Amino acid sequence: MKYFFKNIGYFLKEVGTILRLNPLSNLLSLVSTSLMFFILAMMIAGWWISNDVVEVIQGEAEINFYYHEDLQDEEIEELVNRVMTVDGVETALLINADEAYNRMVDILGKDAEVLKHFDDNPFNSFVEVKIDIHEIDAVISTLESIPEIENIRDNREILIRLREMGGLIKRIGLLVVVAVGVATLVAIAHIIRQGVYNNKEEINTLRLLGAPEGFIAMPFILEGLLLNLAGGLLAAVMTSFALMALYSQIQGPLPFIPMPPINGLIKGLVLMLILFSGTLGIAGSFLGLINSSKKGKIKVIKAMEQKK
Amino acid sequence: MIEAKNVFLRYPDGTEALKNINLRISPGNILYITGASGSGKTSLLKLFMGIEAPTKGTLNILGESISQCSSKDIQKIRTMMGPIFQDFRLIKGRTALENVLMGMRFLRFSTRSMEEMAHDALARVGLNHKVNSMVENLSWGESQRVAIARAVVRKPSLILADEPTGNLDKENAVKMLELLSSFSSDETAIIITTHATHLIEDFLDCRHIVMEAGNLMEKGWVEGV
Ligand SMILES: Nc1ncnc2c1ncn2[C@@H]1O[C@H](COP(=O)(O)OP(=O)(O)OP(=O)(O)O)[C@@H](O)[C@H]1O
Ligand SMILES: [Mg+2]
Repeated sequence: MKYFFKNIGYFLKEVGTILRLNPLSNLLSLVSTSLMFFILAMMIAGWWISNDVVEVIQGEAEINFYYHEDLQDEEIEELVNRVMTVDGVETALLINADEAYNRMVDILGKDAEVLKHFDDNPFNSFVEVKIDIHEIDAVISTLESIPEIENIRDNREILIRLREMGGLIKRIGLLVVVAVGVATLVAIAHIIRQGVYNNKEEINTLRLLGAPEGFIAMPFILEGLLLNLAGGLLAAVMTSFALMALYSQIQGPLPFIPMPPINGLIKGLVLMLILFSGTLGIAGSFLGLINSSKKGKIKVIKAMEQKK
Repeated sequence: MIEAKNVFLRYPDGTEALKNINLRISPGNILYITGASGSGKTSLLKLFMGIEAPTKGTLNILGESISQCSSKDIQKIRTMMGPIFQDFRLIKGRTALENVLMGMRFLRFSTRSMEEMAHDALARVGLNHKVNSMVENLSWGESQRVAIARAVVRKPSLILADEPTGNLDKENAVKMLELLSSFSSDETAIIITTHATHLIEDFLDCRHIVMEAGNLMEKGWVEGV
């Protein structure tokens, strides 16, 4: 470390020389790492979004029930109050027929014209019950046992489907993280080994002049770090564009999907990409150096062994 | 500074390059090693630089016993040496100055004094006008002098020059040996291998050993004629 800051300019210049000695394979490794990081980031974005969406929808988990039409107002009120005391129920709200009609008008928008074909309001009053998603089964079976309740509607299927999808994305995501990690590590290790090979004359001369191994290795570690960081940054740019395009595709026609705010998402992904690519870059460089220094050290070891 | 006792060196292919070498080199010595091609001159220098380790015997260099020390110790010994390789080992694509600096960056010099010393060393070998030239554009003799500047700039305790007169005519060979001797001091020993036995006789105050098929023969001190 003592010679690191003194020589940082020299090390960076050396990195430049190493890169220039083999521009094509360095460029290719940059392209492939940035693509890998892009896939990784998109995977994580998908995971993040689906998690968020599931969470929001779960938070809004609700079931509706219809009661027997012959119930009196007091009986309805009593029923609603009774439902509110059920474990897992957060709120229960009576939606009368007029409100139900107005809601449908809102949802249909321009197409609300069709409702004019009815002479009467075709909708019934119902009770909207917000519940804790984890209690959904218990709540439904309790409600089913109440005789005044005629009919229950729930969105259990959608929720379960969403949760499954979230789990699947998570598993695939984990796989992609591992695969990208390993692939990047191997790619960087390989490029570093190539750099060491191309510079073996210089490395040998430095060794003969008594340069410490850390000093000799530093430009290669920096090379791996910078190459990977550049790949990570390129991926960050691609990811940002891709997400902005995705959001404009989804939010226009499907405004009710509760997507997480794009700024936070992009910021988080960029930070993750930088950390991930930097760490992998250094790790890959070490791997490449260990791999190529084995050959260099064999000579010394042999010389030592012979004495015995 | 260097002490070899009954040192043998056998290469993996079975070549007995050095046989029973006994040698003591003290600070201030200028030592010439001559001998036929293949007699073991370079092999001896390789031992001193820790490139090869003796297969038998004890070798002590700059306070470290080569048979017992770690690669870290060898690295440390090397920082106290100024090697001038037969093929110079300059780094292409770099200037003369950068080549001189490459042996100093990991030592305890400040950036400013490093640059100053490198310029001085290049001036000392007569290359102040080539400081910023790429080494691949330098002539053979100029390259050799860059290699010398790189070796001496670190103020080493031991300067090792392998065949510095190889490609030179008599006049330039003498100049080269004079240049190298000019770096000697009470703290610095210089070891030079050469084929030019006849030239050494012109030098006062130097030590001369002859290698013959891996054996070392001390010729004693050469007195100038
Ligand atoms: N790495 C090696 N492996 C096997 N044999 C070697 C090796 N290096 C040198 N030799 C042999 O050791 C002997 C001494 O070689 P060395 O290079 O020390 O000779 P030299 O005196 O420097 O010769 P020259 O004057 O030609 O440079 C030679 O027979 C050579 O072939
Ligand atoms: Mg030789």
